[in-house]
Order: sequence, then C-alpha cells, then structure tokens
Amino acid sequence: MTRFIRYVSRHPGAMVGLTLLALQIASILFAPWLTFYSPEEADPLMSLQPPSAAHWFGTDVSGMDIYTRIVYATRINLLISIVAVAFAFVVGVPIGLLIGFYRNWMSALVMRVFDFIQSFPVFVLGMALVSVMGQEIWNVAIVLAVLFIPMFARLIRAEVLSLRERPYVSAARCSGATDGSIMFRHILPNALTPAIVQVSISIGLAILLTAGLSFVGAGVRMPTPEWGLMVSTGAQQMILGVWWVALFPGLAIVISVLSFALLGDMVKDLSDPTTRERL
Amino acid sequence: MSDRKSTALLEVDNLSVDFGEGTRQALSNISFSLGRDEILGIVGETGAGKSLLARSLLNLLPESGRFTSGDIRLEGDTVLGISEAEQRKIRGGRIALIGTNAKALLSPVETVGAQIARVLRAHRDCSQKEAWKAAVDLMVQVGIVNPERRAKAYPHELSGGMAQRIVIAMAMVAGPDVVLADDATLGLDATIQVQVLDLLVKRCRELGAGAVLITHDLGIVAHYCDRVAIMKEGRIVELEEVGKFLAAPKEQYGQALLDAARVRPTPMVARVEDPALETQHETPLLDVRRLLKLFPIAGTQDVVRAIDDVSFSVKRGETLALVGESGSGKTTVGQCLVRLLDSDGGGITFDGADITTMPAAEFRAMRRRIQMVFQEPYVALNPRWPVKALIAEPLRLDPTLDRAATDKRVRQLIDLVQLPAGIAEVYPHQLTAGEQKRVGIARALATRPDFVVFDEPTTALDIRVRAQIIDLVRDLQAEMGMSALFITHDLNSVRSLAHRVAVMRYGKIVEEGDTEMIFSAAKEDYTKALLAAELPVEQGTAQRDRAETRRLAGAAA
Repeated sequence: MTRFIRYVSRHPGAMVGLTLLALQIASILFAPWLTFYSPEEADPLMSLQPPSAAHWFGTDVSGMDIYTRIVYATRINLLISIVAVAFAFVVGVPIGLLIGFYRNWMSALVMRVFDFIQSFPVFVLGMALVSVMGQEIWNVAIVLAVLFIPMFARLIRAEVLSLRERPYVSAARCSGATDGSIMFRHILPNALTPAIVQVSISIGLAILLTAGLSFVGAGVRMPTPEWGLMVSTGAQQMILGVWWVALFPGLAIVISVLSFALLGDMVKDLSDPTTRERL
Repeated sequence: MSDRKSTALLEVDNLSVDFGEGTRQALSNISFSLGRDEILGIVGETGAGKSLLARSLLNLLPESGRFTSGDIRLEGDTVLGISEAEQRKIRGGRIALIGTNAKALLSPVETVGAQIARVLRAHRDCSQKEAWKAAVDLMVQVGIVNPERRAKAYPHELSGGMAQRIVIAMAMVAGPDVVLADDATLGLDATIQVQVLDLLVKRCRELGAGAVLITHDLGIVAHYCDRVAIMKEGRIVELEEVGKFLAAPKEQYGQALLDAARVRPTPMVARVEDPALETQHETPLLDVRRLLKLFPIAGTQDVVRAIDDVSFSVKRGETLALVGESGSGKTTVGQCLVRLLDSDGGGITFDGADITTMPAAEFRAMRRRIQMVFQEPYVALNPRWPVKALIAEPLRLDPTLDRAATDKRVRQLIDLVQLPAGIAEVYPHQLTAGEQKRVGIARALATRPDFVVFDEPTTALDIRVRAQIIDLVRDLQAEMGMSALFITHDLNSVRSLAHRVAVMRYGKIVEEGDTEMIFSAAKEDYTKALLAAELPVEQGTAQRDRAETRRLAGAAA
C-alpha cells in the first residue's frame, strides 16, 4: 500500500488516471445527485440550446440535457466495456496459455478460428451479430468479448512461446514441476504483464467500439444515454455550427479512454518485481 | 622513437566522473599514462568502473555523467573541452574502442565488408571500390580465411571469434594511436580468445599503438600486458608492472584477486567412507552407453549429430568434467541426463535403472536424485519468485515435507550455500551474479541428490566470486559425497574440481583420463590445443617470454 502511494505520488500520469477513474466511478454511483434533469426525457421546447448556466453542456435536438446524459452514459459505456473485457480476459488468457504451451493440431485449429474471427472488419462483424441477436446492451458486450478473446489469447500465446524456452522453465522441470505447475506458476505470471496492460487499452477500445457501433446504428438505441450514440446524433448538426452536441460526449470518450491507458502503465509497473522497488 | 616515448601517448590526470550533483563519484582521481608500444591491463570486478573509464577516454559518458576534475591528454593535447567535430576525429581515428560481444556491435542488416568500407571512407578519402578492396585487405590482415566471400557475409553468418576479428579490423582502419579493448574476448572459447588477443597485440605492435586491455581475467594480464592497473570502486588501487604485481601485489585487494585466480589443489580421490559400501557399489552410479542425439537441420533432410556415440561413467563420489568448446555437444549431454532432451539412441543407466526408457511420471520421482545447476544464474531463476520459493520448489518432490519442514529446510539450504538468512524474501534481480549462482546451487541440492550436473558453474563470474563458487562446490561435494558432472570450458576450474576429465569435440569424446594425467600428458592434439589456450596466472611470468617473442615477431612483420 505504501508502495502504491509512493508510486502514485511520483507518477503524475498515474495520478491523473486515478482521478479520472474516480470521476467516472462517481458518475456511475451518484448520477442522480450530480445531475438536474432526466437523462431520457425529451423537452422539444429546449431543443439545441447552447451551453449555459442551466444547461452546462447545452441540449440536443430533442431538448435533452447533454451534461445529464453524459453522466448517465458512464454507467452503460463502462458496464459494456468492463464486462466485455473481463469476459475476454477470463476466456482468452487460459486459451492462449494452453495453445502456447501445447503445440498440436488442436492449438493450430484454435489459431485458425481466431484468424477467421479477426479477419472480419470489426463493424461488419458487430453489425451482423447485433442484427442477429438484437440491439440489446448485453449483445453489444458479447460482440466485443468475441472480438477481444483472440486478442488476449494471441498476446498470451506469443509470450508463452518465448517463455516456455526460458532456462528457468527447464530448471523448474528438473525440480520436478508438473506441466500444470509450470504453466500456471512459472509461465502465466510472467506472461501476464502485456495482457494486463491490454486490459486497460481494451477497455478504452471497447468504449470506442461501443460508441462506433452506436454511431453506425448497430449499438444501443435512442434514447438510451450512450456516448457514441450522442456523438452520432450530434454529428449531423455539427455542420450547422451546433458544436456542443457532439463535442462533449466526444470529450467524455477521450477522457475515459485516456484514464484506462494511464492506469494500464501503472498496473504494468506495479505488477513487475523488477521495476517495483525502483519506484 | 626515443623522444616520442618521452611524452606519454595517452595521459589521464586525476580524472573524476560523477552522475550529477550529490551523487557518488563513479570514477575518482584516476591517473595513469600509456606509452607507445605499451599494453596496459585494467583489471577489476563488475562495477569497478572499467567500462566507464573506457567511455570517458572517448569522451562518451552516459547521459547525466560528467567530468568533475582532471584531464585526458593525447600526445600532450587535451581531448576534453574540444569541439564535437574534433572529438569525432579522435574517436575511431586516434583512439579506437573494441567492445564486448562483437556480433551485437555490428549492424545486422549490412554485410561486414560494407561496414568496414564505411568506416574506411569516414576516415580516408577513397571511392567505394577502393574502400571495399581495402576492407578485404584488412580482413586478410586480421587472419580471416576466404576474405572475399566473408566480406559479403552478414554478421549472423559469422562465428563469435570471426565477428570479433571484424571489429578489430574496423578499429584498426584508421591506424589509431590508442586501442581500447573492453572485455573484447568475453564469451569466446579459450582457443579463439588466444587467437584474437594474439592478433590484437600483433596489430598494435605493427601500428606502434598503445593498447589498454580492460578485463576481469588476470590470466590475460599476465600473458599480454606490460603494466596492470587494479580498479576498485572507481579508483585505481594499484598500478604496477605485471611481473612485479604477479610476484608480490602491494595492496591487499590485488593480493585477493590474485589468490582467487590461482588454481586450487586437485580434489582428493573419490572417497567412500565405508569400504564395504565400495565393493557393494562397484557398478558406477551413472553409466552412459553409446548415447546419440540428433537435431534435424530446418528445411533439409540432414541432421546434426550433437551427441555422436558418447560413452562414459561416473562412480559414486566421483566428479567427471566434460570439457570442450562451444558447440561440442557437452551441454546437450547434460540435458539428456536430466531428460530435458530425449536421446535418439544408446542408454543412460542411473543406479541400475535405464532412465531413457522410463515413463515421464516414473522419472519425475527420480529427479530427486538427479539434479542440475543451470549455466546462466539469472535467467534460470523465475524473476517473479522470491528466493525462498525458488529453493522450496524442488522440495515439493518430497510429499512427506509439510510447510514447517520445508521452511526449515530452506533456511538450512540458504545457510549451506553461505547466503545471509535475510535473502529468503528477495527477488533474483536484487541479487549479485554470485548470489544467484548460490541460489541455483541451493535449489539443486535441496533434495539431497546423489548426482548433480553443473553446467558451466564458473562462467560470467568475477574472479573472486568464481573462486568462492569453486570453493563452495568443493566443500559441498566433500560434505555430501555426491557424484557430479561438470560441464565447462574453463579448464582452470576443472583442475580445482574434477577427478577425471573427458574432452568433447563435435559430439564425440576424444580423450578421457584422470585430471592430472590430462593436464600433464594429454595425448590428443585437440586436448593439447585446449590446454595451450589456457592462460593461468601461475605461468604468466614464464610465458611472458613466449608472449615477448610473439610480440617481437609481430613488430618484425
């Protein structure tokens, strides 16, 4: 714990990342107390108001308060992203470990399946899956998880391929370690760092993809508050000089993605004993 | 010539370097001079500041490093505080640096001939074609056979010794006045090391250059250098003519280094306390018969015969050394013994059981009795495990040990390899190379094995640490009475550790015999060549005459 505090105090990036994360968590927990309007109630009379004291970030075409919607959207966006990435991590990491450690026809087959999944353009795959399963929040999460599983598995596999040849793995074998022990106690902890860093990057990417899917109409539907959807509706008015509708949710995406990227660096540094005590 | 000698070629005067305000001085008050035709050895252990000194001489300090006092003069003119353009002329032009690990110093995407030619053109006005021709000539001068073909080779196609010759050729391009060789032969086989050093010294003589050999090997100093500077913690603690130093070092530290470099007496003959036991175990503990290991060559039907019909045996309490140069297959033999590799033919009998055909699960139980100490101390330890977990790992082979018994055993083992108790909680990267090696040894001894394979136990260690590890292994063997196989190319340590020696070359054992016999009366030419390449400090003064003749021959050439 003291190590954590010392690390944060010396790394402004980690400090910023944590602050932004706290902001997002606050938005999730206290949205009703932080905002003054309903996130899904239209008020046609207040359509497209510029930012003011009453509407900090202005209103959209339906007259909904943008600030309120951004705060509420944190719930949906983070929920989708974190669930999707957590699922992909939990499934992808063991797969990667196994196909890296045991090189046989099964692992080759799994790799080809991954190639198949990854060869589709993300949005085509997303739109296809969502259209089959329905435009539900959970379906968006599942689509993202399917996309991310090969990413984590490949990442771990690449690490495992190099780690399994390390002398300390041979040394462990000579000390009587079993395959399971070598995989989970020796290789996995050393292979995990890039995957852990990838978690935060993926959460950022998932937020972008959710927003993107909504933008092309394959994600969540209006009037659910979601950042990408808000950018997409705002984009149409951008050309008329109505900049605030797209800008503020866009900034929310940037801040959220940035915070997870910064946290990724922190997790990497703190999880590695070779850098830990230098911090 | 005589008046040239009156002013020293290179003079370092009271030089100090630190890394920013308030930091420890990395080099303090270094003073020495180097004359033409002189070879100065700089010796010290890791962290003594040897390499930093070499970089200082080129005014190439690492970032945030700075000179706090002193001066460096080349033929009387200072080289500090002159313009960057002038400095570039000195680097490579008048002072050349030859570094460790030549392969890493060469660019992997350019042929070596082109690289030499580029250096040539940087220092001399000539066309591409002339430069290439000159590069080939230089390769001839550094003893490269078939230079036209080699010039078109990329660094990865060359052996380590060959790459080192290329780097020497590059360093000699502009006819430098001073050659700095920073551990230039580290990691090369002994026979290649001698060739490279002979070549380096000869080329320096031909050019009339002075040379600074930075090394941690007193044997090199004894055989090649005129004077020696002993460095410790950024200071030169002793600067003396080599002959006088070898006879009687003035400083305690110099004496300690010299003692550490000396050969220990041969271990006593394999002893078994109980004569009854001896007769009972007349069969050897380990018996290797006609062992064969093939590696397929990628993309072809050919195979490399890494182990080609090798037979040997080790009795109880006996130590056999398996010596040979890199690529001789000695490490592969070790890996077959502990079943890291499966052999392709022949048999390995351990205490009456053939372990090559044993199922893996059954062999796992056998691992308690056959252990291995790995070559590179750091990479053989999982970086995320603290020392106590590393040492405890093999103890899991013994299911009768509970947690408390395991902890107790770990403490005993830490004590056994003479490490402080507090080390249990520490991670491998926080240990010195010597400590890492000890942890590796503790792991191997944890299950009280009958047989231990030591793979290169002394390489890449500082002189004193190397001696400590040799002493430790000797003591442990005497105490525990185990049998061992030493895989090494360090003949010096073989003499201190092994009862018998087997010499390997190209996957075959070419000669085998008692240690003393091999060292005093080797029959095979290859063994003799290996022995001749050894640079023990004891023979330093005697062989200096030989070096002198070699040097004169070089000067005459």
